[in-house]
Amino acid sequence: MTRASGRRLRAAAAFGIAATLVATGCSVSVKSGTSNVGPTTLLVGGADSGTPALFRNFNPFSPNKRNLTTWMYEPLEVVNNLDGKETPFLATGYTQPNARTVDFHIRQGVRWSDGKAFTAADVAYTFELLRSHPALDTGGVWQHIASLSVSGDHVVFHLKNADVPAAKVIEATLIVPEHIWRGVKNPVTYTDPNPVVTGPYTLARFTPNQYTLEKNDSYWQADKVSVQKVVVPGSSPDLAIATQGYDWAYSFFPNVDNTWVKADKQHHSYWFPPGGIVGLLPNLTKAPFDNLDFRTGLSLALDRQQIADKAEQGYVKAASQTGLLLPNEKASLNTAIPNQGMVAQNTSAALAAFAKAGYTRRGGKLVNSAGKPLSVNLTVPDGWADWMQGAQEIIQQLRAVGITVKLDKPQPAAYQQSLQNGDFDLALGTVGGSGSLYQDYNNLLNSAFKKPVGTSTASNYERYGDPATDALLERFKTTTDPAEQKRLADQLQSVVYRQLPEISLFYGGLWGLSSDKKFTGWPSPQNPYASLMTWGSTPLLVMTHLRLAQ
Amino acid sequence: MRYILRKFGLLLLTMWAAVTLNYALPRLMPGSPADAAVAKLSQNGPVSPSTRAAIEAQLGVPSGSWWHQYVEYLNTVVHLRFGVSYTFFPQSVSGMVGQALPWTLVMVGLVTVLAFVVGSLIGVAAAWKRGTWLDSLPTLSGAFLAAFPYFWTALLLVFFVGYVFGWFPTSGAYSADAVPNFSLDFLGDSLYHAVLPALTILLTSLGGWILGMRNTMIGTIGEDYVTFAEANGLRGRTVALRYAARNALLPNLTGFGMALGGVVGGSLLVEQVFNYPGVGHLLYSAVTNHDYPLMQALFLMITVCVLVANFIVDVLYGVLDPRTRR
Repeated sequence: MTRASGRRLRAAAAFGIAATLVATGCSVSVKSGTSNVGPTTLLVGGADSGTPALFRNFNPFSPNKRNLTTWMYEPLEVVNNLDGKETPFLATGYTQPNARTVDFHIRQGVRWSDGKAFTAADVAYTFELLRSHPALDTGGVWQHIASLSVSGDHVVFHLKNADVPAAKVIEATLIVPEHIWRGVKNPVTYTDPNPVVTGPYTLARFTPNQYTLEKNDSYWQADKVSVQKVVVPGSSPDLAIATQGYDWAYSFFPNVDNTWVKADKQHHSYWFPPGGIVGLLPNLTKAPFDNLDFRTGLSLALDRQQIADKAEQGYVKAASQTGLLLPNEKASLNTAIPNQGMVAQNTSAALAAFAKAGYTRRGGKLVNSAGKPLSVNLTVPDGWADWMQGAQEIIQQLRAVGITVKLDKPQPAAYQQSLQNGDFDLALGTVGGSGSLYQDYNNLLNSAFKKPVGTSTASNYERYGDPATDALLERFKTTTDPAEQKRLADQLQSVVYRQLPEISLFYGGLWGLSSDKKFTGWPSPQNPYASLMTWGSTPLLVMTHLRLAQ
Repeated sequence: MRYILRKFGLLLLTMWAAVTLNYALPRLMPGSPADAAVAKLSQNGPVSPSTRAAIEAQLGVPSGSWWHQYVEYLNTVVHLRFGVSYTFFPQSVSGMVGQALPWTLVMVGLVTVLAFVVGSLIGVAAAWKRGTWLDSLPTLSGAFLAAFPYFWTALLLVFFVGYVFGWFPTSGAYSADAVPNFSLDFLGDSLYHAVLPALTILLTSLGGWILGMRNTMIGTIGEDYVTFAEANGLRGRTVALRYAARNALLPNLTGFGMALGGVVGGSLLVEQVFNYPGVGHLLYSAVTNHDYPLMQALFLMITVCVLVANFIVDVLYGVLDPRTRR
């Protein structure tokens, strides 16, 4: 959610020209066109992209699906990933009679877009489909579920273990119609070209460069949906987004005040809330990164806000060392941790910590007891320009305390492989932001993911392992008591704060842009009911909040 | 005939080597297709461990020894079966290539021919009128334009002609709401969209042809047979085109063969800048996503076309210049 794509870089290059011209005093006025898509049509940019052309795939379980598939198919509940709040959709709610059972109450009176009634049987069918085709189970629900049963309008999930957080995984599954999918020969390669859905929109028109959604008039909360049509171009360069009357877009804009906002000061605004934490992952299987004093030194040596400003142009704040996204998750904060977990740069304390770890400063360089200067590698994926900027700043700051840092920049796939196999010293990586505190801490800390170096693991790339922390996670997983959950979350924050399994640097932003020229009710810092992400299920929240501007 | 057969044998041998390289190179890149898919998804937030498992199940990540895979691969190449693309799963590779190829062939292909013809003619004129403005203007501006990196030219055109003046569309091969067909309306629309990318390639490649042609032409103009033709009182244009240019064209022809062969590879950066749905664009996404099947098909197509174009130029050379046949 924080990354620059190729599309973004290309658009940024075009903008670079504009910025250069402006900077050199060359006055250019870009012709400002307005979209002619109509007053009740939403034009959305940066929501989908096709290479070389959009491919008609609306299979909700395919990683290559058209992004707006999730504006048509609905899950049981939508989770706001900013604060973890759940909003009932195809379920009206759920109960957890015990830690091994989740009981979803399925909404009545919902119809599929072809007129057939939606029932609990569709829900059960969808989950059975995922069980019989593991390739479709991208949410991994069957790692949690042992079996499920339908009784009336209830679907009851029996879990493999005591597993309270599983509800959030299960409820995110998009539900498909049994009467259509039953006839599909191979659901894994099915492209679902004409989706039959329960959601607010249906597919109206598809061309290789652009597609259009139309309001589903039989939608169960149709009265909340004001946008009649949604137009999604396959390509929406930043220059076009800024100048051509887009209502909603998701894009990292260099100098956003001077570009997006300036194009229509009265209506254009942006909101970049944190969507994850970008931090340094130390390889805990290697010296000196396995030494807590050394990690403390690293943490104290860095000026996080300066790194954030370099990397993301001042759009995001330095991150809290608690592993929480602030201010979104402020309610979960452990108040015993000083200063909300913000760590200030303190060079003398850093040097003291390095000394405790056995590294002293000699001639401006940190050297070990044998007098050998310290040199480490920092792994950053090639082409992720903002991270590269941040990495340059980190290198400078660490050089100031005497550490030589070599930049290692593999291609993204190779970077991913290095992380998984533990083949790095220090790496920039993203943690947190799933909307579930348990998932965030589990992925970061659980020793079940701690595979030996050279063996691929899917999480906990830094390879942290501590029985006491595992016990905390286990209790977190099995308790349904909110007070106990809060206590455990507090303790897990302390672990991250004190043990430094990763060194949080800055928040990865969710680069949302909106215009209230035609529609009002956008999410904002004052009304953070969702982020301005254009993919995933949270757009369902946005589209049921928007109203026509008066 | 023996000359052609020998050249043909060489063609087969180089093709085999190219096909084998196509197999080996993508696999030498660190990271697997699943890694690439996970890295791509992680741009949109943390990827849960189960997502990776599902992706691996979908892509059916290649198994078996390299040797086994190689034999399998040769078999598919011979039968022109390229399977399913990883990046655009479950779209077939041939479907993706079939969709992208016409755009590149028409846009890049026509421009390449046009640039060669126009550039060579200007080169002839420049050499013939050496020292006049007819020489210095195209030579200087050609050298100037050729020195520009072509993505830079593309960005300048996008910004000024596309955005500031708004004369031409800046992205895509046709209007967003159009469906490709053979109506006049659609053809006009796609021509309109091809103007800027085509202009970019034309501007940046023209200089090379002009300079190449002019320089060899100046050499041939000094030859005795040209002086003789002139002394015989033939018209200037006849001497320039029929006598001097015909010989001066030979070195440029080699370059032209290479350029034609390279057309199918698309014009990667230009297609990226203009978001043009051609082969260059496709190749870029195939490589960045470790899409072995798509990469293999594209590289194969490109190498075969370059080799065949070279073969044809070789044969033509043999026809035009008997000395090369030995």
